Order: sequence, then structure tokens, then C-alpha cells
Amino acid sequence: MSANKSNRRADPAWKPRSEMKLINTAMRRVDGPDKVTGRAMYSADMRLPNMVYARLVLLQVPRAVVEKIDVSRALEVEGCVLAQPYVEAGTEVLYSGDDSVVAYVAAETEEAAEDAARAVRLTLMPGPVLVTRLQSLAPGAAEVTSDGNVGRLREQGDEEDAVLGLSESDVLIEETYELPIQHHLCLETHGCVVDYDGEQATVYASTQAVTSNQGEFAQLLDLPSDKVRIVTEHMGGGFGAKFGAGVEGGIACTIAKQLKRPVHLLLDRPQEFQMGGNRSGTHARVKAGATADGTLRVIQAEVDRLGGVGGGSFPGLPYIYEAEARHVKDRSVHTASDSSRAMRAPGHPQASFIMESVMDELAYGLAMDPLEFRKRNLGDDVWHRHLDTVAQEIGWAAHPNKTAAGAPDDDGMAEGIGFAVATWGAGGRRGAECEVRLNPDGSVTSSCAVQDLGTGARTYVAAIPAEEFGLPLDAVTARIGDSSLPPGVGSGGSVTTGSVAPAVKAAAHGAREAMEKRLAEAIPGDVDGFVWADGRVRSTGGADFDVSFREACAMLGTQPVAVTAGHDRSLQARGQLHGAQAVRVRVDTWTGRVQVVKMVAIQDQGLPMNRMALESQIKGGMIQALSYGLLEERVFDNEHGWLLTDNMETYRVAGTKEIPELVAIIDDEDDRPVTGMAEAPVIPGQSALSNAIYNACGARLRAVPFTPDRVLAALGLLS
Amino acid sequence: MDSFSLSLPTSLDEAIARLPEDVFDSSVQLMAGGQDLLTELKGYLTAPDEVVSLGGVPGLDSIQPHTNGTIAIGALVTLDALEADGALPPALRAIVEAASSIASPQIRSVGTVGGNLNQRPRCWYYRHEAAPCLKKGGAVCFAKDGKNKYNAIFGGGPSYIVHPSDLAPALVALNADVLLTGPGGQRRMSLEDYYYLPREGPVAFETRRAANEVLTSVEVPVASPTTSSTYLKFKERSSYDWALSSVAMALDMEKGVVRSASIVLGGVAPKPWRARAAEALLVGKRMDEVDELAVAKAALEGAEPLSDNAYKVPLTEGLVRRAFRSLS
Amino acid sequence: MSKTPEPAARDEREADLSRRSFLKGAGGAAAGAAFVQGAQATQEAAVADPEAGVRILSGATEIEMSVNGEARKVTVEPRTTLLSVLRTRLEPALTGTKEVCDNGNCGACTVLVDGKPVYSCLQLAVTVQGRPVTTIEGFGKPDQLSAVQEAFCANDGLMCGFCTPGFVVATEAALAKHSNPDADTIRHELAGNLCRCGTYDGVFKAVAEASAVRRGGAK
Repeated sequence: MSANKSNRRADPAWKPRSEMKLINTAMRRVDGPDKVTGRAMYSADMRLPNMVYARLVLLQVPRAVVEKIDVSRALEVEGCVLAQPYVEAGTEVLYSGDDSVVAYVAAETEEAAEDAARAVRLTLMPGPVLVTRLQSLAPGAAEVTSDGNVGRLREQGDEEDAVLGLSESDVLIEETYELPIQHHLCLETHGCVVDYDGEQATVYASTQAVTSNQGEFAQLLDLPSDKVRIVTEHMGGGFGAKFGAGVEGGIACTIAKQLKRPVHLLLDRPQEFQMGGNRSGTHARVKAGATADGTLRVIQAEVDRLGGVGGGSFPGLPYIYEAEARHVKDRSVHTASDSSRAMRAPGHPQASFIMESVMDELAYGLAMDPLEFRKRNLGDDVWHRHLDTVAQEIGWAAHPNKTAAGAPDDDGMAEGIGFAVATWGAGGRRGAECEVRLNPDGSVTSSCAVQDLGTGARTYVAAIPAEEFGLPLDAVTARIGDSSLPPGVGSGGSVTTGSVAPAVKAAAHGAREAMEKRLAEAIPGDVDGFVWADGRVRSTGGADFDVSFREACAMLGTQPVAVTAGHDRSLQARGQLHGAQAVRVRVDTWTGRVQVVKMVAIQDQGLPMNRMALESQIKGGMIQALSYGLLEERVFDNEHGWLLTDNMETYRVAGTKEIPELVAIIDDEDDRPVTGMAEAPVIPGQSALSNAIYNACGARLRAVPFTPDRVLAALGLLS
Repeated sequence: MDSFSLSLPTSLDEAIARLPEDVFDSSVQLMAGGQDLLTELKGYLTAPDEVVSLGGVPGLDSIQPHTNGTIAIGALVTLDALEADGALPPALRAIVEAASSIASPQIRSVGTVGGNLNQRPRCWYYRHEAAPCLKKGGAVCFAKDGKNKYNAIFGGGPSYIVHPSDLAPALVALNADVLLTGPGGQRRMSLEDYYYLPREGPVAFETRRAANEVLTSVEVPVASPTTSSTYLKFKERSSYDWALSSVAMALDMEKGVVRSASIVLGGVAPKPWRARAAEALLVGKRMDEVDELAVAKAALEGAEPLSDNAYKVPLTEGLVRRAFRSLS
Repeated sequence: MSKTPEPAARDEREADLSRRSFLKGAGGAAAGAAFVQGAQATQEAAVADPEAGVRILSGATEIEMSVNGEARKVTVEPRTTLLSVLRTRLEPALTGTKEVCDNGNCGACTVLVDGKPVYSCLQLAVTVQGRPVTTIEGFGKPDQLSAVQEAFCANDGLMCGFCTPGFVVATEAALAKHSNPDADTIRHELAGNLCRCGTYDGVFKAVAEASAVRRGGAK
């Protein structure tokens, strides 16, 4: 590479991993100190002068005609500054979710806002309760929406092929599998703080799409986009639930326009459960068959996606595996609850649970090692290698029950191992841009509007330029989470890193070339090129030049170097992601307790940005999957439609004592460039967990979660 | 939570004077650590005009051995104090294990013995403000035909709650008494009798405490050194949960023979559920001749599960077996 | 304090189906809630009941609290929680303590009172008068981290960071109690804190490392 006065340029490229000092190492997050000291400011933490606290009023029944909304008593609450209906009298609320919002209030304090919200009086004419699949499918059932209760039918494969396949199979299963609706449960609820003065606005939004929120909030505020700034310095979780402004964002803007005061509107926890998003449930009737040689001959399935008023997600069957024949029909069955939203690998954990259960049941039906049966029906060698790796780490070779379930010991305890695989797409998308700026005083900023959901984006936005210039991580300030910066991308589908990191790299590369050009012009005599390392820059030939980074920047005089670059597809990985997980459990066959002892994951991920954050992401996926598998389930009362799991006591997520030994293996044989990967490791965990329970004691769990009632039923202990 | 006034008495008499006579008068409520009461207030399950804090009442926060062979545990003793090493003699280990199993460190820092014994049910319908359930003055126990996975298999009707206290089964198994002080002075009753079934009294409540009484302490007989006890609790979420089911067991054994036995089940009935038939199978037996499975079956005899909680029968049988094994 | 009497009988549908039916107390007399009580209550001040000699707090009351070693005066109602004081009533607000479940289930609002970990969402502010309160802001600063905070950073014991202040405070309390906790003790002492991103493994490593550092050992 050359940087002499002829100004030849090279395309940006990641340097060999062996030469990297920061990227692909274990870096501390740059925002760690702010987060561990409570200084990190989230949207919910914004305290602006003259701010009002706003609150929504939600119906507690899924469906009702709102005959009357009386806000007069709310307005009498001291401190209440505004109370308004959100819907007109006579409106029919159709489902539990964002449709449940019927009024809103704003007040000087949180307590006054709550008092005022409670003082809103409603007169309701209740409608039918349709909160379960069976209620919606019952003959003569009322329609959830005017679109009917069943929709979006899809059909894959051929029925005749499938019927033939079933007749030619040596082992058959015919079973029903069920997955409940689960929640994202972001710890910071949905909402925002809108600071609007009539001419411009800053919106502190808890969003995973800073850049696209700008236009959305501009519309809501009737302002041109350039008068609206979205700020998301930090956010308390998204997991796919926080893209748009939502009803809550719209109402915050309405109040702000009316009062011309800053408005703080974050959902409370029960509201977050009611309208903050969910993963669609699934009901699947499956027939499948395999031949004696261990070939998956056929899968036939009728799958209902249970996404409330939404369509739900399902990627199809046989999912990752290959079958000689398939006939799969899926459709959405609507219930009167909020639409499912993208939730970390939408549809995939559901398909995984069904397919991995089927694979396990067929393998044991053939008295085959389920690991071997999987490999026979997986085309891509990467999965074979991944399965072998996790099998070794979990101790499969020494495990006694390989082709049949085990039995409990004299103390009623049984130990088992289960497997499952993962997939997702690699890469990013266009649109992200980054500016890297070198100031004459030696300070460096790397700026992109992208938000950091806790994935570590802020850290690699700093690390990539630091790597480029041979600087320590703290020499670069990452500026992110602000729509006034060069655009980011929405954090969905694991595309953030594959979209943003290449832009940062391209900008850092461009800034280095621009800097080298400026230096070459300032240095007497020709210079062949420059090396940036250890906080210094030196020439590689020609004129003798060796100064500290700061001294080099001082040579810029008064004019900084600032280069903005966009996404560069050559810097991102493409194709498919792979992964495999293994779980070891201990089952108490007397009580139905499932204790996960160990979980192992391997994941490919292209060029890792930060090995420590990557490992955390993989383990985070494993833990969420464990939590789905053991605990999580949204429950409505079927008769009245009350959402019973609207708090963190009844909607349980895993705590410290649920956490097993966790091993996350980064697949360093994947030599592709950068990609995100957060979806993949959340997919296989609950499937592997279920298979481990069967392997331990012969209890086949065909409904998630694997709570003791279901384990004991599967063991045949319920009379 | 609605507004209320908070009174801060500095003596028991002052506290009692503020309490209503009528048991159905919920306008004044007692608060010890407040860990349950605050959730009730936040959920608008109760909206008193006045909350009487016991925090300033002296003399209720110690654990004291009495000369009569009992240990008095003050109502304001916090749960973490019970967990502390040496707070109680080894024979009373069930109490320590029960305390340690409760909620979380944050709750145990503040939550008290009195509060734990008097806490209100966790039934999903009772706790859901929209559900006008029987215990809140409504006409229907929604759990009976609704989502009743966590509800009673014994002693249900017309309400099907389970009593949520972990200390209660352990203390009942160890034959504890409660001391109550009201305007007329002090009275004592066994903790077992302190609780009643929904069909035995006003369905709105769980205990025989009068509205103007304060539970001041629990007295536990110091069991003989030949006694051992344990409390086994099954939580759906091990980290932090109420009991799906629990077993308190105390066995007095001499030379391998059971002299006395108590088995009390938690999480299965509206009150701590004493399994007398199972106890009878143990008394007088040599430990090695006990039919553990028969004891477990006897403990669950007569269970009447609802639609979603039949699993509690084998689960609890399993817990009884595990408790027995841990003591043998 | 007086409450506005409620109409004894309301529209049945309204009583049963309004968003939160306003049942009052456990007694079964399903009277409605008092909607304007806040307005009246704040007019009142702390008074001593002349007959009983009992201190009674009602309506807006100024209290003095000790937060992170500083005496802070703040106006509260009896119902005001410590969490609400920290996050919305103090000037400047101490927003490091997070509100997540607001129901004593998750630990994000953990602070120390008298050195013990408590859920600040389940503490009435008036009951912590005269007792030292330590919040996350009372430990290290970004450029001067406590051993626990340092270890959380070094072991990636955080992702989105929203549960992190609660975990840090709970860890400080745990290590004050156990100088050398084993893995089970760590899980037991942090069982009142929930994380959704799934950082538990990093947290466990951080606690073990911090305890070693505090004992004077090498990392």
C-alpha cells in the first residue's frame, strides 16, 4: 500500500486476523463504566425541565364497545394537566394490545399521572372472548377481525409425494407440538421522552431503529425531518420489539404538540406485557417418516401460527434438515391479542422445536443415535462439524443412553443429553454510513446513528478506527444513537454488525488514506507509505518519518480529516450462518424438576468484532432459550380474557439459579468477513433441552415450556 | 397505589388503638416489612385510608429462648435473621431452610416473620385487579374452573387459594404457637389453628387474627436433640418463587425408631396441610422398615385436584420421599 | 384524611369490566376507589394525633433522607416509594436505580438501606428516614470504579445494562456478607435480580473476581 504524493488508493479490506490488535480480541465495552455506575442515561431516565409524565389507559378485556369515556374526574386530580380519550365513544376495541388504548393523561408527577389514569371512567359493553386457538376455530365463533379468524395460508411440497413417503417409511410418527406465546420482556419498557418546542423536537426513544424513527416522529409531530432528532444513547433491550414509534410514541407526540412541554411516556410493566410485543405461538400436527437406513423420508404438517391479530412467523419444515418429500401447510389462526412482532429469530425457535423433536423421535424410533441421524439428514458439512464439536464438549461419547432413553436411578434422578442445530442468514444491508474524524489535537471520533441494544455496537464503532490507526481503544470516541449522525440501520435480523462495521471500516480506511495524503504533502521529500502501530505513525520508505499519532494530527494545522463512507459489501460475510447446541439435564422423575446442568453452543460468525461481547451474545441466546424452555408462557383467562401473566412474577424468566455451566465456542474456522449473528444462538436451546429430557428418562415433551406438570404427565404419573 | 395516611406508633398499645374492630373494615391496615402490603397497594387490591406501621414498636424484633423450653421469634424478626448461622438450634433446621427459600435476598432483608405468616395469597385471580374474585368480595372463585395450575388440591371450596407462606408449614410441623395481642390483652393459639379453610370462616381472610390484633411473636418448642427437621420446597423458578408445593417434616428418632413425626404440606391447600395419615405410618417404626412410598401416598390421600393441578399429587409425593430420605 | 364517598351501586358492567375494578379492601364491601383523594391529601401536613400521641403522616410531607452520605430534603407523600424519590423527586434525580417490574420481582431497583439490599420499589420513602441509603451512584465513578464495577466491566457482566446497577448493588451486599462466596452462594445471593439479555455467566465471573480482589488476592 502506498500513500505518496501520487495519491494511489486501495480498496478497504480487513487485515489478517493474526495482525489485529483489537478486533477479534476480548475487549471491554467502551460504555461499561457508564453502565456499571448508573451514569448511562436511558430514555426512561430523561429528566427535562418542565416535563410532564404521561400515562395510557388500557382496557383489561380483549374486546368491548367503549360506550362512554369520562375524563372529567381525571382532570380533577391535582397535578393532572391533560386527560383525553384516545378513541371515540362507541368504538369497538377488538383485541388486547395496542388496540386496548382508550385514553391518556399527563400530569406533573408520576403519581398524579397514575391517579389521573385511574380516574378515567369507562362504560363498556363486552364482546366475545377469543383468546385461544380453539375459541377462534370453534364453529360459529365470532370473527376476531373483519379478515376472519384464519388467514395467510401457505403450502409447500406435494401431498401425493408425502403420502407415498409415509407408506415407504420404516418408522412413522404422528404427533402434535405446541409452543406458547412468549414475550420479549425488554427491561426498559416501550416509550420515549419527546422534547418539543413548537418548531423542533428531540425524541429520546427506546428504539432499535434510530434512523428510521426520525421520519416517523417527524410525521407524528408535523415537522420536517430535519427538525427532529432521535437520541438513543442507551436502551434497555429490544429483541425485535422496538422498531416503530407505536401508539405510545404517537400519543407522546400528540401531548407534546398540545402542551408544548417535554413529555415522558414509558409503558408500565403490565402494559408492556399487554402491548409491548410477543413471539407467535405455534400449533403443529405432524406426520413424519424415516427409512431404516436413517434417511428422513418425509414430513407432512399442518401448522397454525398464533400471532394474535398478526400473521405470526414460521419458516417452514423440514427447517434445516433435508427430507425426500414434504407437504407442509401453514396458516395464521387469529386470536384477540396483539400482533406478534419480530422476536429474536422470528419463527425459528418454533420450527426448530418441532423439527428437532421430530428428528429425535424418528431416531429413537429407529434405535439410532440421534446425533448420527441428524448428520445423515443435514447437507452442509459445517453442521456435521458443529454437532461433533458440541457432542464432544457435552460428553456424548461417554454417555450411556445413545439409542434409547435412560431410566432414573434409585433416587429417581436421570441424566440426559440432547442436541439441536441453528441457522440464520449472514451479512448486512446497504444504507449505513459512518464518519471518522481525526482532529488536530489527536482526538478521533467515529460516528454513526446506529443504536446499541446491548450487543456492543458502540465498542466496535470505536474499535475499527482504533485498529486502523494502531491506537488503543480509548483513543477513539464512538458517537452513536443519534439521528443527526450519518445513518445507521435498524437492528433487526442480525444485520446491524454486517451493515455498520463495513461502513466504519470503509470510513476508517478512507480517513487513513486522507490523513496519509495530508501527511505526505506536509513531509519534505517523498514517502513510500505509512505504518500505523502502537500509537505512532512512521514511513515505510523514502523520507524518514516517525512521530506519535498526536504529533501527526498536529500536522493537520487547523483542518481536521473527516471521511464519511457507506456500507461496503465486500467487507461483510454472505451466505448462511450455522450453529449447534447440546444440553445436559438432570430430571427428578419424582417431582418433574428439570435442572439444566450444562449447555454448549458453537456458532459461526465471520470475523468476530469483540470476542467477549460475541461470547456474551451466544450465551445470552442460550439463556433466553433455556428460559423459554423451562418457564415462559403467556396465559389469558379463557372466559374473561384477562391477561394473567402481565407481571414479572407470573411471567417467569430465568434467574441465577436456572443458569447452568455455559460453554460458548466461537467457530474460528469461519474465515468470512464480518456479520451479525444474534438470532442464531437463541434458536436451538429449547429444542435441545426437550431432547435431553427425553434422553434422560423417556419423557417426550411436545409442548413448551417443560414445566413439572408436563414432565410428570409425560412420565405417565398423572392419573 | 392510592393515597393513605401512615401512622407510626411507638408502642403496641398505640398500634392496637388505631386498628378497627370490625374484621370487614379494611380502612386501616397493618404493615410490618411491607413487602406484601406494598404489592397489594400497588395492585389496588386494597386501598386503606390508614396504614399502621409496626416499625417503631419496640420489642418485636428479637429471637429469644424462654425458660419454658420454647424459643420466641418476634414478629418483626426479618427473614434474613432466621437464615443467620446459629440463630436457631439444629433441630429447628426446617425453619432456617424455609426462611432461606423465601423470595429473594432483597425481600428477606426487609420481610418479617409476622408478614410472612400473614401474607395474602398469590392466586392469579386474586392478584389480578380486574378479576372480582370471591376473596375480594366477588361471587366467583375464578380459579375453580379457570387457570388453576397453582391452586389447591386439598381443602378447597368455595375458594381454592393456597396459602403462600413458607414459614407456616415449617412452624406448624414444629408445633409452634402464635401470640396475638389485642385490646383485651394477649392470647395464644397453635399456628395450625391460626389458619382456617375457606369453608370454615369468612372467605376473605386466611387467619383468625382479629382486625384489632397484632401477631407479636411465634413460640416454637425447642425440639429434643434427637429431632431433625427439614423443609423442601419446589419452586417452578428455583431462583425466586412461591411454592408449587412444599413439605415440612420433623422426626424425633431414638435408636433408629421414630418417636414422633410431623409432616406438613405447603402450596397445596388454603392453609398448611397436616398429613396425619402419613405421620401415623411413621410413628413407632424403625427407620429402615418404613415404606417410604406408602408414607408419600398417605400424605396425598384424599387430594382433589382441579383441572390443571393434578400434577401436584405425584410432585408432592416425590417431595415427601425426598424429605424423608434427607432425614434418614 | 377524608375520602370522597363513592356511589354505592354502579353500573354493573362498569363495576365488573372497567379497566381495573375498584374493589376496596378484602372485606368484600366492593366500594369504589377515591379518585380525588390525592388532591386533598396533598393539602394536609404531618400531624400528631392528639389523642393517641401517635405520629401520623398524611399528604405532602417534607422528610430528610441520607442518600450516599448526603442529607437530602425531599417532599413526599406516605405512599411515595423510595424508588420514586430517587428517580423523580430528588434534584438532580438519581436515575441509576432502574424501574423495571415495580413489583419486587426483578431487582433492578436494588439499593442498600442500612447496608442491606432492598427493593426500593417496595420501600415507603418515609420509612427510611434516618437510615443510610446507598444507591448505585454511591459506589464508584466511571473513572474510579469499585472492585465490583471493575470486575463487571472486565468480565462483560452486562449487555443492555438496564439490570446492571441492581446487580452491582446486590453484589456489593453479597460480598459484604460473604467474603469468599462459592458458585451456589453467588447464585443464592443474586437470585433476586433478573437479566433479560442473559449476562448471568459474566456476572458470576465478575462476582468471583471482585471477591478475590477485595480479599487482596490477585485477579
